[in-house]
Amino acid sequence: MCGFLQFPLLSCLLTERNTGLQTGTLATMMLKLYFLGFLIKSLLTIGIETQPAHGSLKPRNVQFQSRNFHNILRWQPGSFFTGNGSVYFVQYKMYGQRQWKNKTDCWGTTALFCDLTNETLDLYEPYYGRVMTARAGSYSAWSMTPRFTPWWETKLDPPAVTTVPVNGSLLVLLRAPELPYRNRKGNNTSTENYYNLVYRVFVIDKLVEKEQKAYEGTQRTVQIEGLTPRSGYCIVAEIYRPMLGRKSPRSERRCVQMP
Amino acid sequence: MASLKKSMSFSLMGILAVNCLILTALWVQEATALPVTSHCKIDESDFQRPYFINRTFMLAEEASFADNNTDVRLIGDELFQGVKMQDRCYLMKEILNFTLGEVLIPQSDRFQPHMQEVVSFLTKLSSQLSSCHISGNGQRIQKNIQTLKETVKQLGEGGEIKVIGELNLLFMFLRNSCV
Repeated sequence: MCGFLQFPLLSCLLTERNTGLQTGTLATMMLKLYFLGFLIKSLLTIGIETQPAHGSLKPRNVQFQSRNFHNILRWQPGSFFTGNGSVYFVQYKMYGQRQWKNKTDCWGTTALFCDLTNETLDLYEPYYGRVMTARAGSYSAWSMTPRFTPWWETKLDPPAVTTVPVNGSLLVLLRAPELPYRNRKGNNTSTENYYNLVYRVFVIDKLVEKEQKAYEGTQRTVQIEGLTPRSGYCIVAEIYRPMLGRKSPRSERRCVQMP
Repeated sequence: MASLKKSMSFSLMGILAVNCLILTALWVQEATALPVTSHCKIDESDFQRPYFINRTFMLAEEASFADNNTDVRLIGDELFQGVKMQDRCYLMKEILNFTLGEVLIPQSDRFQPHMQEVVSFLTKLSSQLSSCHISGNGQRIQKNIQTLKETVKQLGEGGEIKVIGELNLLFMFLRNSCV
């Protein structure tokens, strides 16, 4: 009998009591079980939450989502509410700082996200964000993100590719996705060097669908030579991050017919 | 008179010779001092190993989940306070060796499978710095290292978790200081 349902310890206790009394029908036993289960569950919740009364208000899944180094804090409403009528308060800090800073743009917001790009501009620095809710006069506890390092977590979009045929060769123009303005040391280095990115350009021979890497580097303009006249080629590119060995998705194919 | 002139020119010669000796000595010292400090260097190619870098960051991330002390940070700019640019690699070497010897190797049964690979990677970096020394007495450096060690000790097991959670920072600081 012991160890059935989801509350093994409880069902053991209950079984002993019931056998002692020899009276409980199955229905009342189940009812008691569920009631006690509920009690235990709430006790557990109280043990975990610091503010028992508002525990269910606390925002859930607070985390940074980073794309092209744009770092957006996102969260979900507390478990018992759909979120209607709730306002949220956002704070952030760099790991190691004692003080949390208020994000004034997201102080009392009803949105479920907050753009912290400008507050998290140092690529290699670890940051934290946290969110609190208020609803009908009561406040939740803070929900904090895991430690967030933009350089490690961001996902890059593919580069934009333009092709221009020039006297039998092909000029490929590459543009990185829009990356946040760097107000620190990066001013005299190129975006590519600052973010430690390289472009990879591939040429696909349309006739045989054979792909070849034509270029890897930080230049935004690449000339591809040695193409056969009156043949069709497609160009596709990606952004590669050498230190992490990660690549962006591929750009759209740009196809041309050589004159 | 003639003897005086002679002795004067002799002493002048002497001064010149001594000067020359001092200069030579200085030059020799500088020449020997240079290679010593230049041992504080890690080849950039050692920081272009995606496999190990990813493992290092993954391990740090995993440990950082277990570190809820967000106020205290071990590896940050304070470490370099009062430390000259050319001595920073030496400082990072000392911290790397502390991390390996006092934290990672004793904790190496935890955080598998990444731990093992990160330890071997960091050991390799450490061996590249084995003959890295500083010329001066480096009191300030020792003091900064001591502060870090004491913080780790004070935090107990949480301190060791914190060290592991900052392996990504250790790696980046090594790169910035030693390449």
